[in-house]
Amino acid sequence: MQQRETEAGRSIPGQPDMWAFVLFESVVFTSYFTVYLVRRTQSPALFLQAQAKLSLAVGVFNTLVLLASSWSIARCVQAARERSFSAASTNALLTAFFGLVFLVSKVREWASEIGKGYGFTADEFFSFYYFLTAIHFLHLLIGGIALGIVVRELRSPARRSLELIETCATYWHTVDYLWVLIFALLYVVR
Amino acid sequence: MNEKRELWIGWWTLVVFYNLYGLLFFVITRTQPPPRPALEPSEIVRWFADRHDGLLYGYAIVFIVGGATAIMNATLAYTMRRMSVSRAFAYAYLLIYALATLPGMLLMGIACTVGAMRPDRDPALMSWLYDFAFLSFEGTMGVFLIGSLIWMVAVLLDQNGVFPKWFGYLNLCNALTEVVVAPAWIFQSGVFAWNGAIAWWINMGVFVVYTIVFLTLIRRLILREDFGTGPLPELRTDAAA
Repeated sequence: MQQRETEAGRSIPGQPDMWAFVLFESVVFTSYFTVYLVRRTQSPALFLQAQAKLSLAVGVFNTLVLLASSWSIARCVQAARERSFSAASTNALLTAFFGLVFLVSKVREWASEIGKGYGFTADEFFSFYYFLTAIHFLHLLIGGIALGIVVRELRSPARRSLELIETCATYWHTVDYLWVLIFALLYVVR
Repeated sequence: MNEKRELWIGWWTLVVFYNLYGLLFFVITRTQPPPRPALEPSEIVRWFADRHDGLLYGYAIVFIVGGATAIMNATLAYTMRRMSVSRAFAYAYLLIYALATLPGMLLMGIACTVGAMRPDRDPALMSWLYDFAFLSFEGTMGVFLIGSLIWMVAVLLDQNGVFPKWFGYLNLCNALTEVVVAPAWIFQSGVFAWNGAIAWWINMGVFVVYTIVFLTLIRRLILREDFGTGPLPELRTDAAA
C-alpha cells in the first residue's frame, strides 16, 4: 500500500520514457505544422477558400468528443490511484467509447468531403487536411491498443500496474492534444 | 581473448556502412536528396548523363559492399536475442530486413546503373527507369515500418533492460514517419512528393536521429554485455571511459 502511495506521489506520471515519446512526436508534428503554415502563407486565398468547405460544427464536435475522452481517462487514472478498479474500468471503457465515436465521426466526415468532390488530391489544403487527420487517426488506433492494455491491467488483481496505466493515459492525452492543434490549424485559423 | 570482438566487428560494420551509404548516395551517385519527380523525358536523359560516372562507380561499390547488410542486420538482431523476449522477434527482424535490402538499396542501384549504361535508349524508357528507381526506394517503406514495430515491441516487452523503453517509443515514432512516405506514389510535386518536405526531408531528419540513437545504444549494450541470459548489468564508468 505504501509502495502504491509512493508510486502515486511521483512527480512524473507513468514511465518517463513515454514523456520522451511525447517530446519526439511534438517535434515531428511541429515540423508538419510548420510546413503547413509556410505553404499556407504562400497561397493564402486557396487555403482560405478550401478551408471554408470544412464543417466547423463537425470539427467542434470531434474536439469535444476527444476532450471528453481525456476527461474519462484522467478519471480512470484517478480511480486506479484510489484503488477503485471497477470505476477505473468503467472510465477506461468510456474513453474507448469516445474514441470510437471520434473515429466513426471522422470517417463520416471524410466520406462526406470525398462525396462533395474534395478528395486527397483536390487541392493543397485538402492534401494537408487528409494527411494530418489520417496520421492522427493512426495515432488514435494505436491508442486503442493502449486502452486495451489499461483494461487488461485493471481486470486482474495480479497486474494493476499504476505506472503502466498512467503511461497509456499519457499517450492518450498526447493524441488528444495533437488533435486540438490540428483542429485549430485546419478548422479555426483563418 | 576479447570476448566482445565479434560484437565490435558488427558495430563498426554498422558505423562504417552507414557513413559509406551516406557518402555513396549523397556525394558520389548524387541520387539523394532525390531530384524532382516531374522531370520531362529529355531532362531525365540529361539527369542520367550528368551523373554517368558517379552512378556507375557509386553503385558498383554498393553492389560490392551490399552484402555487409547481413552483418549489420545480424548485429541488430543480436540485440533482440539478448532480450528476454521470444527468438521469433530476432528471426522476424532478420527476415524483414533481408527483404528491405531490395527496395532500400539494390533496386534503385540496378535501375540507375541500367540508365547510366544505356544512354541511347528511348527517353520514355529512361523515364520509366527514373520512376522505378525512386519509387522503389521512397515508396516501399512498409518493410521498414514493420521492422521498426518488431524492434519496438521487443524493447517494450524485454525484462533484461537491454535498451531503455524510450527507444521502443522512438521506434514507433520512426515507424509512423515511414507511413508518411506513401503519398509519394500520388504526388509529383509539393511536400508529399518523393522529394518533398514531409515525404523526404522530415523523414530523413527522424531517420538520422534514430540511427545515431540506436548506434549509441548498441555501443552501450556491447560495453554492458556479460554474455549471460538475465538482466544486463549497468554500464560501469571505467568501462565507458
